Amino acid sequence: MDIRDAFRRYRPGFERETTRRAKRAAIAGLPAFLILAVTGSMGLALIIATIVFIALYVPAWDSLPLGHWIVTLSVILLAVLYPFYYPNLFELPIFGAFPSVDTGVTMLIYIMMALGLNIVVGYAGLLDLGYVAFYAMGAYTAAWFASQHFSNVTFHLGGVGSFGEKSSVPGIHMTIWLVLVFAGIFTALVGIIIGFPTLRLRGDYLAIVTLGFGEIMPQIANNGDNLLGYNVTNGPQGINPIDPPGFGNTLHNAVGLPSDYLSSPTSTRLFYWTALVLVLFTVFCSMRLRDSRLGRAWIAIREDETAAAAMGVPLMRTKTWAYAAGAFFGGIAGAYYASFKSGTFPGDFYFNISVFILCMVILGGMGNIWGVILGGAFLSYLNQEGLANIGAWMNANGVSDAVFGHDIDVPLYTSGIFGVILVLTMLFRPEGLIPSSRRKAEFREGVSDEPLYDVQH
Amino acid sequence: MADLLTAEGVRKEFGGLIAVNDVDFVIPERSIVSLIGPNGAGKTTFFNMLTGVYKPTAGTIVFDGHNVTGKPPHAITERGIGRTFQNIRLFQNMTALENTLVGMHSRLKGGILQSVLRTPGLRREEEGARKKAHELLEFSGLRGRDDEFARNLAYGDQRRLEVARALATEPKLLLLDEPTAGMNPQETADFTAFVSKLRAEQELTVLLIEHDMRVVMEISERVTVLDYGEKIAEGTPQEVQRDERVIEAYLGTAAVT
Amino acid sequence: MATEQARIRVRPGYRPDVLSMIGLTLVGVVALWLVVNFIKEPADFYNLFLIGMTNGAVYGLVAIGYSLVYGILELINFAHGDVFMLGGMLVATLTTSWALESKSGGTLWLFILLMLLIAMAFCATINTTIELLAYRRLRNAPRLAPLITAIGMSFILQNIGLVWKGARPTSVPDILPHGTVFTLGGIPYTWNRFIVILFTVPVLTALVWLVQRTRHGKAMRATAQDREAAAMMGISVNRTISFTFFIAGCLAGAAALLYALYITNIRYTEGFRVGLIAFTAAVLGGIGNLPGAVLGGLVIGFVESFNNGLGWHAPGSDWTQSIIFGILILILVFRPEGLLGERTPEGA
Repeated sequence: MDIRDAFRRYRPGFERETTRRAKRAAIAGLPAFLILAVTGSMGLALIIATIVFIALYVPAWDSLPLGHWIVTLSVILLAVLYPFYYPNLFELPIFGAFPSVDTGVTMLIYIMMALGLNIVVGYAGLLDLGYVAFYAMGAYTAAWFASQHFSNVTFHLGGVGSFGEKSSVPGIHMTIWLVLVFAGIFTALVGIIIGFPTLRLRGDYLAIVTLGFGEIMPQIANNGDNLLGYNVTNGPQGINPIDPPGFGNTLHNAVGLPSDYLSSPTSTRLFYWTALVLVLFTVFCSMRLRDSRLGRAWIAIREDETAAAAMGVPLMRTKTWAYAAGAFFGGIAGAYYASFKSGTFPGDFYFNISVFILCMVILGGMGNIWGVILGGAFLSYLNQEGLANIGAWMNANGVSDAVFGHDIDVPLYTSGIFGVILVLTMLFRPEGLIPSSRRKAEFREGVSDEPLYDVQH
Repeated sequence: MADLLTAEGVRKEFGGLIAVNDVDFVIPERSIVSLIGPNGAGKTTFFNMLTGVYKPTAGTIVFDGHNVTGKPPHAITERGIGRTFQNIRLFQNMTALENTLVGMHSRLKGGILQSVLRTPGLRREEEGARKKAHELLEFSGLRGRDDEFARNLAYGDQRRLEVARALATEPKLLLLDEPTAGMNPQETADFTAFVSKLRAEQELTVLLIEHDMRVVMEISERVTVLDYGEKIAEGTPQEVQRDERVIEAYLGTAAVT
Repeated sequence: MATEQARIRVRPGYRPDVLSMIGLTLVGVVALWLVVNFIKEPADFYNLFLIGMTNGAVYGLVAIGYSLVYGILELINFAHGDVFMLGGMLVATLTTSWALESKSGGTLWLFILLMLLIAMAFCATINTTIELLAYRRLRNAPRLAPLITAIGMSFILQNIGLVWKGARPTSVPDILPHGTVFTLGGIPYTWNRFIVILFTVPVLTALVWLVQRTRHGKAMRATAQDREAAAMMGISVNRTISFTFFIAGCLAGAAALLYALYITNIRYTEGFRVGLIAFTAAVLGGIGNLPGAVLGGLVIGFVESFNNGLGWHAPGSDWTQSIIFGILILILVFRPEGLLGERTPEGA
């Protein structure tokens, strides 16, 4: 029995499948391979060739036992080992070097926020333009519970960092792990409060009102040094330093876990791996939510609110859960980022960030976890390093001169580029690059869009 | 037999237009009642008030001993009123099974934390739900269609799925809004038999809005007639058929003389 | 068939009592605060009143644009404020390159009129192009889609502004005369402010005439109420919608001219700020209601100026954005039809 029979057993119609894949691989792979080979990045060309080979000659993973885990596990493995092989990676054409581990941390945090927003926009279909408010909430929660801000109180609970260990250091210093939980829960509560007046509004008004909250939050942060006489947010100067993550001396002495990320020689890696764990946690929760009774209710609301209500789905409560869940992950992301950057300032939070994260969800594929991760990774990379690298390449290789007549500063066009991405995606591929099949159908076939609020009175 | 639903003085005004004008309505337990009337008589508006989509301008609705006047739709469904829609409102991009599972939303308990942790209790509940949904689909004549997307089903099957989904809410009172619209005589006969089966096997009470007089005559025990938002006749199908006001409403004054 | 018509009885609008009590209390508190401030510092009050009125007129003009587009498409045209901003930049450029500071009298006014026409044409073109390129295709898509596209457009226009004039505010030469028109309580109302009102009133009148009396206006109203029915009546929906965007663009252009010449500077982020204010004004007045949009604009103008300037217990300019958003949220939750709008009755 030859190997093709074995494959045919696993996947009936294997030959048809192979022809389809061969076509797809040819369309995608061949031009990519040629371009890369010609421009001299053999490393990437070889990777693409390998991927094409795998796609062509290996059967559908899903039918193998535990097959559908292979892609996921290999990606996780690649991500975990990234800090080790990253220095040895080849250079990409145009984009230059792969992102540093430090950039990787920021990318992972943005991915986490995109996954959180995906629950609100992708699953429940609520257009939230104020996600930055949750990010800010989380950051300030970390600032309150892991810094010297409340210096009239001295409270330590496993807080680490060169500031926390000495029990005489003023302020509240709780271990970052607790702080993350607090941040998530507190932000979720704020989300529920904000959601109460907001979520009963129809789609476009909901968008504007969430935008409003996204603007109010930084204003409160900016003016927060004198809220009814209390210094809540320390105003425009922000709160810094914020304690870094760590496991404390006891665990350090017992098991070798780092007591304090900043004092460790591989601190960036530690931050990176922790961020990765947070992202995996978010993915896990997203998947579970999606496949639950609540997830079904969200899809039903998206499709036809009135029918969903008639079937016993409590609209406000269900939408609020989506909002709270999104807020939860946004808060954790914000808190972790504040700890990573060791500070938080009102200037960190502005409307563009909300749209930026929305862009990730939309480009990647609303409602699809892989899509959102890819969208998040790509767009955050562009924002951090990618656009600057592209600009440098264009200026160095005469492309700018040819097209514009002089050197151009590509990062200057960041907002415009993201705007173009949004417009083009909505016009030509609204379901995103890696869509969930359901969403694709919704955009093509349409949904029953009338909100119950308009019908009921 | 006790009255399952009592509506008293129910009225609905839209601005200056009175759509339903002080209607009194009673549905006895385990009966099949029909609501008929010419187009625009206010039947669907009345339905919408019973199910909470509209808030009555005046009047009270008491269901199963509870005052449900003006309560939101999901609360009324929880109390035990299920419904189908006049123009099919299935969740088009969900499968038949998923549609039915949504119907069970108020009868399942899985919360957000349990869903994330996938506790054994939750898993058992989900399995049970899927089994029950599957059974409901079979009962409604949709055997083997579990994984078909609702938009791909034939028209008659879509109507059946609507009923299956409404049944999933475990209603005591089932409201069917023009369920046989667009059906041919054979489908209509099948559906009529189905409704009788429903009442017999599931101990349901059924309220029907219908235009097809054969269906009304065949299975209703009582018929109420609305015209221009007012109740103009009520009684057995035979009584209503002979009522002058009803004939006038449908066919015009000339038909009576 | 019975020939009886359905009885139509007129019932006064019925609103839950608690909400209106709370609303009235709030208004009462604000009124009290204003009165106290007025008594303490009347000169300041008059001054701020005049500033608020002037700003409010500009906001009103932009708000009408939002109202028009929302009325016909049920779309919040996020990019509208940025069209306004680009118009302002154009005015800044023209004022400088035509060296208008050196002109005066009749010539000056001629040039200003010319700039007005150019700005209006410029903004109208941008607005119509945006509709053609981005929104038209998405007319039947789920509501999320055109909204997101509008945000994208807004970003693109902001970037254009950033690249055109840079990140720092561009100053516009102060060419409007500063002579006094009248005094209110000892505070002079100068010509450069009065111009704004002078322009706004005829523009608004012309607009109302257009919407109420012309064929085009009727087409707009019909399309706003029921697009399919309008199409069946032979109205070209596409042309009507384009026309609406054209008019909205003209208004933005006029507002941009007034703003640039009166405030004498313009920055690429102004579009976003003014846009949100104008949208709030449109909602406050009643979305789809044109006089309401102007009323809303005036109210917000007053709120902003009183909040920024009054001495006794004013939250201060730090809180203006939050207060305006607070108003938006309150209106949408408690009185979504706005001040002048009506709760539309749904058909049976």
